[in-house]
Order: sequence, then structure tokens, then C-alpha cells
Amino acid sequence: MNGRQYLKNQLPVLLVNLLGIITLSLFLLACGNSIQSILFLSCVWGAVVLLYLTVLYRRRKKYLENMLSMAEQLEERYIIPEVIKIPERADDQVFYQLLKMAEKSMLEKIGSVQRERSEYKEYIEQWIHEVKTPITALKLLCENNRSPFTREMLAELENINRFTEQALYYARSEHPEKDYCVREINLNDVVHSAIADSKYLLRQNHVTVTVDKMENRVYTDEKWVRFILNQLISNAVKYRTKQPVLHFYSTRKENHVLLSVADNGIGIAQSDISLIFEKGFTGQNGRTVPNATGIGLYLCKRLCDKLGIGLTAHSEGIGTRMVLSFQINHFVSDFLVE
Amino acid sequence: MIFMKHKILIIEDDFTIQTQLKTLLTANGYEVHIVTNFSDIIHLLKESTPHLVLLDIKLPVNSGFEICSQIRTFSDIPIIFVTSSNTDMDELNSIMLGGDAFITKPYNTAILLAKIASLLKRAYALPQTEVLTWNGAALHLESSQIAHNDHKTDLTKNEVKILYYLFRNAGKICSRNDIVDFLWDNQLYVDDNALSVNIARIREKLTGIGLTNFIKTKHRQGYII
Repeated sequence: MNGRQYLKNQLPVLLVNLLGIITLSLFLLACGNSIQSILFLSCVWGAVVLLYLTVLYRRRKKYLENMLSMAEQLEERYIIPEVIKIPERADDQVFYQLLKMAEKSMLEKIGSVQRERSEYKEYIEQWIHEVKTPITALKLLCENNRSPFTREMLAELENINRFTEQALYYARSEHPEKDYCVREINLNDVVHSAIADSKYLLRQNHVTVTVDKMENRVYTDEKWVRFILNQLISNAVKYRTKQPVLHFYSTRKENHVLLSVADNGIGIAQSDISLIFEKGFTGQNGRTVPNATGIGLYLCKRLCDKLGIGLTAHSEGIGTRMVLSFQINHFVSDFLVE
Repeated sequence: MIFMKHKILIIEDDFTIQTQLKTLLTANGYEVHIVTNFSDIIHLLKESTPHLVLLDIKLPVNSGFEICSQIRTFSDIPIIFVTSSNTDMDELNSIMLGGDAFITKPYNTAILLAKIASLLKRAYALPQTEVLTWNGAALHLESSQIAHNDHKTDLTKNEVKILYYLFRNAGKICSRNDIVDFLWDNQLYVDDNALSVNIARIREKLTGIGLTNFIKTKHRQGYII
């Protein structure tokens, strides 16, 4: 609200007062008063009106600005009628009522959207659990009848399973704390089980896998890390070069345990490296390799952020090195030693 | 290798998984029973006296959790939960109710078999068959050695596993792919070339202790002992 606009809105008041002044002046002139006294009287009238408007404007401006700043401080602005005082002016009360109505319908809408969303999420989770039954059946069928043909099917089944897991973890990534169980896990075990999940894919593509001995124990949720590692493995296979190599090793750095997944693939361009965790980003590699979705790494990063695991990508010269960094809580380890 | 056949009861409502699990477990030397009437599981269980139970959580009539707690009222046989839902709540429940292991679908068959074997070993204190014999050769798993008459030679981890697989399938042709699969299941990530190198080295060692032509090559099919 600025002064000019306010004055424009008060134009009728000004006009009425001006009319009043003119009428009074004419009347007083007709009664034979001197010009000076009439001018004086008109000036006083005008001054009183202006003073009145200025004070009103100031008060009004303060009141409205107060409300604006209150709204700005709110995270959910639509609940503004809950925090402001019920106005005294009749027309303000109408606007207050309007705001209340808007708030109510907004809350109803949000409620129904939330309900729909959580129903959909439940459905997705249930669907994933259901689809795992035929995947398991197919996998058993293939493993019981091994041939070059079923071997290829097993590799595809691993892909199907990875995609369903991706959907499951995407659905869960919003509230991972609901399904998050921290315990002491052995990095060695989780790496081997992630490799087992992609066994046929790795073998089909003749990937040379080496796992250095890892004694490190970290505190985290195993199945989430396994899922993340699986995504990294599938990326390494997707962006491979001839004679692909995949190397897992861990190092200790101050109070972090770093788990590195290094490959000798096509690597990541330096201009892309800061963007690879963005949703839908496929970059230069996405143009050369089919099936780049820009979801896998985004999801990995998102999960890592929620789990308190650091995830960084390095690509210097050859290949890519993805590093997961787990914080070691000294309190916990000291406690266990005692 | 002669040992008592262990009975495993499969409580699973998907028909294909039932039959395929049965095939898998039978091929690995277990006797398998399948539940078909889900309203009378406990009765069947008491009748067939299995050594181990594979239990799904989502079942018709009663859930796997209920069945588990019913079983625990009269028996402490090993129970493995096999389920497609991998939430922490389910895992926690299964442990609280006395389940011995929790495996999520789609499971790795190697892991499933290893779990079954280790649980049976723990529960029934099986006599260890650490020595496998075939055609006069004895494979000592604990000391990673192979012996023939009075001669012995040391083996590497890979070599022991390859020989173990051949001994387990003695008299049958083992394809190179199957051997590599088995090694991968045992966390030894060798490729085709490395397998050839390993086989060559094993043959050299076997010749050294007087076993010539112990491992025969079947052209385009694999190896046989």
C-alpha cells in the first residue's frame, strides 16, 4: 500500500470535503465575511482533513504490514487466518471470513491429496511385494533348468528386480525413518550380497570383480546400502568399456569409513560431475548409452542424504569412482569396546 | 556321501514356487514336504516331523507369524521366514516370534541353501563330512589339501572350491558356467580364463601326487571326474 494509491481511494472523501469548503466559503462570503477569515477557515478545515487522513493511513499501513510480515514468517501461508486477530472493521471482517473459507477448502484439498497419495504409495508397495512372487518363481524355474538361454533370462530378471526395487525405494524415500533399522554391519557382507544380486548381469558382461578385504564395521541399515550398491553396480555395467573392471575397497579417513566402488568405464565429463545427482539428468553419457533415466543416482543421493551417508563421484582420467562415506560414531564404538 | 536325508516342510501358497523349491531342495539332497491344506498346517507338521520349516508370511487362513508362534508352543525346529516384504517390522516380528532366519524374495538360491545347511548343522550337530573321497583321492576341506595314497598337496581357496564342486557332482559332467556360478556364489569372482588357469594348476598338482587324468575334459560340455 503506498500513499498515492491510498489517496486515490480516499478521493470521494476529499471531494466531499472540498465541496463542503466551497459551499461554506460561498455562504460566508454571502454573509459578508472577509476573504482572510474565509481563507483561514478553509485552510484549517483542509489541514484537519489531511491530518486525519495521514494518521489513518499510517495506522492502516502499520496494521497491514504487520499482517504481511506474519504471513511471511509462516511456513504454510494458507493458515494465516489462524494467527491474525479478528478485525474490528466491518469490511475487514468480510475479508477475514473469505480467508477463513479459503483456508478451510485448502486444508480439505490437502487432506484428500495426502490421503490419495498415501493410498497410492501403499498400493505401489503392495504391488511390488506381489510382483516379487512371480519374479521368485521365474528365478527358481531358471535356476533349476540352467542353460545359456535361462542364464540370459536370469540377467534380465536381475534387471526387473532392480527396477522394482527402485520403485519401492522411491516410494519409501520420502520417509525412510519408517523403515530404517540401524545396526552394526560388516561392509564385506553387504558388498558381497550386492554383487550376488547382480551376479548374472556382471557375468554376462564379463566384468572382472575384485573385492579387497574389508574389516570395517559401520552402523547403518543394510538393505538400503545394498540397494544403493546395486544401483552403482548397474551403472558401472551400463557405462562400461571393453574388459570392464569393478573394484570394491574401503579406507579409513579420520572418523569416516569410505567405501569406494571404482570402475574403468567411460567416466563422467568434468562439466557433468556436479549435476549427476540431479533428478532426470543424463548428461553426455546419457546421449551415448541407451536407457539412461537420471533416476538411479538421484535416488541414491536422496537416500544417502536421509541416512546420513556421504555420496560423492570422482572421475579423473579413466573410469568412475563412487565413494560412500559412513561416519563412525566414537561414542558407539567406545561403548562397545568397554 | 551318505547321510540321513533331512526333511524340509515348505509352507508357501504360490504353486510354482512350491514345486520349484521342491525340485531345488530335492536336487540338493533333502526330503521335501509341501503344505496344500492351509487350515491344518499344525497337524501336518506334527505328522511329518520335518527338520526345518520354510515359512512364507502372507498365507491364506493364518499368517506366517501366527503359524510360527503356534509351532513354537511345542517345537523348536529351525524356521526360515521367506517373504517378499522386506520391511523392518516384518523382520523384527519374525525374530521376536522365534524365527531363525529371514530371507527376502527373490532369494539367491545359493544363499537359501547355505542358510538351510548352516541351520541344520547348528540344530542337529551334524557329523562333519569334511573329507570327500572319489576314485582314491581324498579332498580335505578343513586343511585345504588333496591326498592320494600317501601323497598330499596344498590347494588354494579357488582350487578347493572347484574340486569341491567336482567331488559333489562326481560322475556327472560339470559345465564351466556352472562351476563359475558356484565360485561366484562362494564370493570368488573368477572369470572363464581364470577358471582354465585354475584347472590347469589343479591338474599339475594332481599329477604331482600321482593322479593323472583325474579331471577329464568333455569337449564343449565341461569337466568330469
